[in-house]
Amino acid sequence: MAGLGLAINARTLINRSNAQLWVLASLVVLIWFAFTLVDPNFANSVFVTYPLLRDAATFTVVGLAQMTALSIGHMNLAVGRMAAVAAMVAGISFQFFGASLLVGALLGIAAAALLGVLTGVIIVVSNVNSFIVTLAMDFLLVGFVALVYTRLTTAAAFTVKPDGMKYLGRASLADICAGPVCGPRFMPMLLIPALVIVGYMIWIYRRSRFGRELIAIGNSMRASAAAAIPTRRRVIQAHALSAALAGAAGIMVVISNGAATAAIGSEFMIPSFLGPLLGGTSLLGGAVSVIGTIFGTLLTFVLRSGLTTHGVGLEALNISLGVLLLLVLSVQSFSRIRGQMRMAKARMVRVRASAAGSRR
Amino acid sequence: MNSRRIRLPIHEATLILVIVIAYLVLNGTSSGTLLSEAAFIGLLGYLSLSIVIGFSQLTVLAVGQLNLAVGPMGGTVCAVAAVLMAKYQLPVPIALIILIVLAVALGAVNGLLVNLTELNSFIITLATMTVFVGVQYGLVGTSTVSSYSAALKGFGSTNIGGVPLVFLGVLLFAGALSVFYRKTRLGRRSLATGANSQGAFLLGIVNKRSVLVAHTLSGLCVGVAALLVMTSASGINRSVGGDWLLLSFAAPIIGGIALSGGRAPVLGTLLAATLLRLIDVARSTYALDPSWVNFVIGGVVLVTVALSELRRRTADRRVRIG
Repeated sequence: MAGLGLAINARTLINRSNAQLWVLASLVVLIWFAFTLVDPNFANSVFVTYPLLRDAATFTVVGLAQMTALSIGHMNLAVGRMAAVAAMVAGISFQFFGASLLVGALLGIAAAALLGVLTGVIIVVSNVNSFIVTLAMDFLLVGFVALVYTRLTTAAAFTVKPDGMKYLGRASLADICAGPVCGPRFMPMLLIPALVIVGYMIWIYRRSRFGRELIAIGNSMRASAAAAIPTRRRVIQAHALSAALAGAAGIMVVISNGAATAAIGSEFMIPSFLGPLLGGTSLLGGAVSVIGTIFGTLLTFVLRSGLTTHGVGLEALNISLGVLLLLVLSVQSFSRIRGQMRMAKARMVRVRASAAGSRR
Repeated sequence: MNSRRIRLPIHEATLILVIVIAYLVLNGTSSGTLLSEAAFIGLLGYLSLSIVIGFSQLTVLAVGQLNLAVGPMGGTVCAVAAVLMAKYQLPVPIALIILIVLAVALGAVNGLLVNLTELNSFIITLATMTVFVGVQYGLVGTSTVSSYSAALKGFGSTNIGGVPLVFLGVLLFAGALSVFYRKTRLGRRSLATGANSQGAFLLGIVNKRSVLVAHTLSGLCVGVAALLVMTSASGINRSVGGDWLLLSFAAPIIGGIALSGGRAPVLGTLLAATLLRLIDVARSTYALDPSWVNFVIGGVVLVTVALSELRRRTADRRVRIG
């Protein structure tokens, strides 16, 4: 009986999240068409869609970094600065050691992952809220990154580009041809690494034991520990993964900007939450949606790019993003509160029924 | 044995010791310029602002909440007051009253949103922060609003015997805050919510009220901080409030707040703010890069956090023995 109830609950949960995904996807398309109708220039593939998709690709990875932390019920406020460190390490390895693009990128991601491990260890050892620890880490890294740039550079940027970086930042799928058929011009080459990462994350959360255990920890740390999940190790690993993803996003920014600067990552915080939360990832942990994160990020960036092409200023942009976040949160929490009330009511009915049964 | 003596807790005593040593070292290496009256007044003026910014986060942390929006809230109310005085020629007292009331109202809005959505205050204030950044930018744009009363701008340096009036005001404010948490029923209940909200609930404490009070109080502190900015800054632009966030968290955390809430170390926050101010002074004395300040403060906060579990364990042991 209880098992059946659980199965039904699980199924409605999946259906609901699918419905949310469809709503989100159609919203992205609708808003895109609305902007195009108002101003046909918005459909301009080279000047609007290409950068839009390139930003969306990068910020999807940022969103996935935050999603990983959210999946265990934690947060990573240092996403931006971990990206900055990865960018910095890559930039240094290009500038001073003549590293190739791949080596530099891997070094940067490894440096970020190391910071993630450190963050995770501090959280596990101190038992302090991940929010405070990652915030302190963020402050530390802000200072550190700025210091390194002022020490090592004169123009506050590492500008040496290894082979292929310029190409990767400018190229589109039109360069990939299968015989006479080529990819579309408006799809940036950077979509490919982003999609590889997306595929990897889907595999982790759908298929791997590791991902399942992260979700379990997000639902209940104590139950997970009781079920013999090494919770402390998983928390550290989750933060390492989150940091590595943030680092990968930082490298993607370096590739599309053509230089590593200290400012990389300073704009990451709000979008990192908007993407996953719009896509149905729970702020409380234990529920993630990788595909949802893609569409959540796309929605944010279609809105942003639509508003900016219509000459809306920075202030209105900020206000609309903040209001959007508030709206999403309210809708999610109202449906959660209503669900809790419905469950409580169902329990009451059950209790009454069993009481009536025992009376007879 | 219930001693009624006023005892200085070990944490606060350590902070005082560190501050005295740091001040003496700084003063010694800068050939005594720090003790000059002008430098001293300037130091205390900036210190007043740091302390109140620390309080704006302390009040929410004590209840297990937090407020990411402190900076943009302060910037927004400053911008409103400056625009009202410069553009609409509103008298100074009325503009300043509007500033305080608005800050309190913005804090209350944060609290109401947290209560309404039953969500983590982090994400709520992240959203309101974004909105306030937009509003502040919308009000002042890229310009600096400065055509208002010069008497107001100069008030910050008014002093009695080398102690700025605003600093005395901040000390009074700190005293009131301390009394609120120690003596009043509302304050004790707020701390109970912060220490253990389920336990507080079982005792009949309305946790949502504690949360609302905390955010409103945070708004009040932001208002006072904004007031201090108005009395010392030469004008209001979009960068006002931009550097409050780190300070607001660093002061209470170094000041010894239990990070899960339930304590409100007013004195500790005050002392920690002093220490943080000295780090800034050191930077300007030795002409270091401004990034050092963030780096050092972030590191100190991280170490404090990492050591907090250790401190908790020794505290537990002491309780068990005693």
